[in-house]
Amino acid sequence: MMSDTPEIVKKVFAIFVVGVLIIGFFMVFTQMPKGNEVNVNNTVSRFYVMKDVDQATQMLDKGTYFNKDMVPLRNDVPYTPITFGKSENLEDGAANVVTSIVVDYRGFDTLGEVTVLFLAASGVMLVLHGEKRKVPKKKIAPSEIMYVGTRIAFSVIFLFGIYVFIHGHLTPGGGFPGGAIIASGILGLFLGRQGYSPNKAGLTVFESLSGMAYAIIGIIGLVAEKSFLANFLPTGTIGNLFSAGFIALIYIAIGMKVGSELSAVTNAMIVDTEED
Amino acid sequence: MIDFLQNWIYLTGSMALVGIGLYIVLTNTNIFRIIVGLNIIDSGTNLFIVTIAWHPKSVMPIYTATNNLVVNGHVISADPLPQSLVLTAIVIGLGTTALALAIAVKIYQKYGTLDVRKIKEEDR
Repeated sequence: MMSDTPEIVKKVFAIFVVGVLIIGFFMVFTQMPKGNEVNVNNTVSRFYVMKDVDQATQMLDKGTYFNKDMVPLRNDVPYTPITFGKSENLEDGAANVVTSIVVDYRGFDTLGEVTVLFLAASGVMLVLHGEKRKVPKKKIAPSEIMYVGTRIAFSVIFLFGIYVFIHGHLTPGGGFPGGAIIASGILGLFLGRQGYSPNKAGLTVFESLSGMAYAIIGIIGLVAEKSFLANFLPTGTIGNLFSAGFIALIYIAIGMKVGSELSAVTNAMIVDTEED
Repeated sequence: MIDFLQNWIYLTGSMALVGIGLYIVLTNTNIFRIIVGLNIIDSGTNLFIVTIAWHPKSVMPIYTATNNLVVNGHVISADPLPQSLVLTAIVIGLGTTALALAIAVKIYQKYGTLDVRKIKEEDR
């Protein structure tokens, strides 16, 4: 049997495997330029940062997109740098470049990610289905401070979550962190009152509607711009709240979907596994 | 050495996280501890991906009133593409962890233990 092996041999073997892996990680240093020699001028990301794919392509000579060595930019192509609060009608108006990649340039990828999260939440609910919440013998009610405090905190946390996903194109954050913040507020409500249970049907309807909203926004892009999940709204001035076209709409849908999904997962996970 | 640490502290930290997580996964038999170890590996991998797109003099990839990403025709920000990939990976890690914990609850209800060896003996 496996358990005949002495404990010390197992630990030494584990340390050996970890050491091999760490040596593999350190091989990265042989490939890496040092200090400020690194920039994204010779990677795909410069297209995202400059917010104009055509111009960024022209500024790099043909056939040098994936060179390992540094390639200087061409000077003969005119380029006006993007100014916060002034540049208008860019290809993608989001001030947060990460958001513009996640929602705009790679929006289809994010749709798949939302699907994965939905599948995981469905799996949790499927596995824990029919779990009767057993009432423990000793009822230890949370104190009055907990009861009132979690309710006050919930309103503030809910508002902050909404702020995070509405400002996803301007500040760090976005739909996924915003939804997680809202779900953490609902977790506080579970702590504050024994036997609290959110409206499950309401959560399901909310989740389905926001998921459908994402797909419908994509189909509107397909009809209007001949491409699935294309930006069909004007992008406005970079840095304004009403800018970046449909990014805010999609992040509102994602935020509501993730918030309700994680709340439903939290609700399914709170099961009493003790014997009566 | 100090210079190296100042420049690559996050890279060293990510390696340490992956090593700690792998050691936990290899030496523990409790399913819950294995899930915790996998989560630590997840964090280490995410930190590694963000770190290789970063260098000590880069700025954040967000346009603000004082933060210009393109100076003299050179892009000086950190690479935004790996950061967006990590944003995806974090959410998927959360979902898989929740699913793994739910399955662990079911395993405990069926076998009365979370030790993988005892579960294997009971299956015989």
